[in-house]
Amino acid sequence: MKNIVITGATSGIGLAVCETLLVAGHRVIGIGRSAESCDKAKIYLLSKKNNADITYFNADLMQMAEVRKVSSKIIEYIDSNWDGMLDVLINNAGCVRSRYCTTKEGYEQQFALNHLAPFLMTYSLIDSLIKAKGRVIVTSSESHKNMSMRWDDLMFTRFYKPLMAYKQSKLANMLFILGLNDRFSKKGIRAYCVDPGLVNTEIGLKQTFGIVSLVWSLRKKKGVTPDVPAKTYHFITSSETHPEGMYIHGEEKKEYSSYVNRENADRLWRISENLCGVEFGRLR
Amino acid sequence: MNVVITGAAGGLGRAFAVECAKRGYNLILTDICEQGLKTLAEGLIRSYDADVIYFTCDITDEKQTEKFRKFIDIRNIYIDMLFNVAGIDHEGAFTQRSFEQINSIVKVNIEATLRITYMMLNFKRVDEPFRIINVSSLASQFPMPLKAVYAASKRFILDFSYALNEELNEKNVYVLSLCPGGLATTQNAIEGMAVQGFFGNATSNRLEVVARKTIDKSLRKRRVYIPGALNRIFSVAGKFLPVTMITRVIYMRWKRALSLRCNT
Repeated sequence: MKNIVITGATSGIGLAVCETLLVAGHRVIGIGRSAESCDKAKIYLLSKKNNADITYFNADLMQMAEVRKVSSKIIEYIDSNWDGMLDVLINNAGCVRSRYCTTKEGYEQQFALNHLAPFLMTYSLIDSLIKAKGRVIVTSSESHKNMSMRWDDLMFTRFYKPLMAYKQSKLANMLFILGLNDRFSKKGIRAYCVDPGLVNTEIGLKQTFGIVSLVWSLRKKKGVTPDVPAKTYHFITSSETHPEGMYIHGEEKKEYSSYVNRENADRLWRISENLCGVEFGRLR
Repeated sequence: MNVVITGAAGGLGRAFAVECAKRGYNLILTDICEQGLKTLAEGLIRSYDADVIYFTCDITDEKQTEKFRKFIDIRNIYIDMLFNVAGIDHEGAFTQRSFEQINSIVKVNIEATLRITYMMLNFKRVDEPFRIINVSSLASQFPMPLKAVYAASKRFILDFSYALNEELNEKNVYVLSLCPGGLATTQNAIEGMAVQGFFGNATSNRLEVVARKTIDKSLRKRRVYIPGALNRIFSVAGKFLPVTMITRVIYMRWKRALSLRCNT
């Protein structure tokens, strides 16, 4: 039995992962954006397994202040119920936008939710992860390939292209995971990116319009159901020892973009520290 | 360059703040939402190492606005650019809104804008240009049933800006009205554009582009900026077509959009 925190846990891949992990007998904290969707998801999960150990917290994770608030609540919960041990953190929440939108900090929303939120969430929960020699998983995607970071304008304030901003955020996930393994593997932590493949979820239809929602509504029909990628998360979570590799599809490690290297990872790490206002695992 | 932005914590105000910070301007932000200002200031400092101060204030309240004036005065700051962004709307039929709601549109969009403009002109540098950017709307181009007070308040801003610009040109003051279509600033706004279908998408503008070009145009002393080619065509057409016809078409469109939104 493992202790798991998962974000974006009220629909799509996140909900399917919750179901799979709960049925396998793990304990889960889910995070969703609205209290309403959290309640709905909880009722659904309890209908699948009536004694499931599931707790929901709600937070709008693209706002850094909310990441901090909810993570301190989670730490409290972990300390009093799970003996301070967190085995797996699944940073799964993500979004797609069709236009340039900003968070309260003035950060571009896809960059904030898809990259900065996992960064700050992992930072906030790192002590509990170290204590349990835990694993960190981020939902990335094949779309990180054939992409580079726009270092001089990470928030895409010039020539905003929704798909490029999305691709960049998924590349940022890969760089974050590389940086995380660099800094914390000696403390027993291992980090992974999952490639879920093309999945039939609503991600491209929430708060989008025009061409983005049109393309996604056509494209998602070809996708697999969310319980298929859920098996990958289950595999990484439940393995006795840390599985090999850092970019996983199915149960196999996969090649990733050559852009994902130490130099770029360190560069993004420093920028992310600055944008989140934290110091996270100095190398020296 | 010292810049004042009202309504800075909202979508468009924030976009202006980010654009100004990127250009290295010094920012003086105000909004009614304290937490929003604080978070934005933090974000701007972290991402652009910007010089930011902020003051929480309801600009429809005379006393609070006076405190804002003192806040600037005491720091001995001159101002080069003013963004009047703060504005509200209560969409819907005139008789279906409370009078407080109707009145608040006039108070924020007109009265407060005038007060702030009057006040900030005192902080103009001698021999340096002073630029004012008034956020009007595409709605200022036509009478709009179901947005009647809002559209008229934005028309006020447009006409006022043209006149003030002429009046103060020789004193090196330049006024630009920004008349954007839909902007994807909030979830509410995005849903509003989605139910309008094709035209909602076609008349909407890109927030980051509007922010950048507005400042560029203001620096070039332009008087009005209607972003988007289609919006400009609408605006020109509005000057030639009979007003009864325009009003009827707009009424039909808004009625449909509103009923669609109520159903979803």
